[in-house]
Amino acid sequence: MLLFRSEEEVQEWCVKNQRSRGEVLTLNHVWELSKVWYGSRMRPDFRGRSIDKVIEVFEGAGLTSAFWKPTSPPAKLD
Amino acid sequence: MAALTEQDWQIQLFIYNFFVENERPPTYQEAAAAFGLGDEDGRETYQRLNDFHTIFLDPGTSNIRIANPLSAIPTNYLVKINGKRLWANCAWDSLGIPAMLGADATIEATLPLSGERVTYAVRDGALIADGGLVHFPLPFTQWYDDLIYT
Repeated sequence: MLLFRSEEEVQEWCVKNQRSRGEVLTLNHVWELSKVWYGSRMRPDFRGRSIDKVIEVFEGAGLTSAFWKPTSPPAKLD
Repeated sequence: MAALTEQDWQIQLFIYNFFVENERPPTYQEAAAAFGLGDEDGRETYQRLNDFHTIFLDPGTSNIRIANPLSAIPTNYLVKINGKRLWANCAWDSLGIPAMLGADATIEATLPLSGERVTYAVRDGALIADGGLVHFPLPFTQWYDDLIYT
């Protein structure tokens, strides 16, 4: 996930690298997501994250499109 | 895939604490020694943690490349935090480090097209940045296909 200044830069990078646009979030949105996603990572009781929890985290951050759905996830997620 | 043991999770936490303190991940020998284990037990533990996606080893080795949000190698995202210099794997992870440590941070990032260096920060739980967009090129289901690319 790369940082850009504008949508135009994202588009230019996608063309150069032959990638689809995917999703673009503001840095502030990513900060809010980071606090939930990584806030518990170094707690002694951290034991990974279930698929249901992944969905809960994304939905709590307003990320509800198919792009964020773990439809065929690995067995266990960090 | 068998579930991780309690000791595996304790070693995982050791890895993170060591990584943050030493600005590099521990070798499996260092982790094994910290838990009174033999080197082979340490290596096997790293492999289980890798298989479980709690850490990611450099392909074909037992060396930690990634312990999200931390990177073992320099990247375009340098996080200065608690007097340490830590590398993040991506723009998201650059904010994941202060989120994980619950501390103020200053992040120096290099933009991919222009090579321009930009700085943003976290102070007292708030992001201080002059705009900025984070691009997620791959849907969640593909993040773990090639984590280094992701």
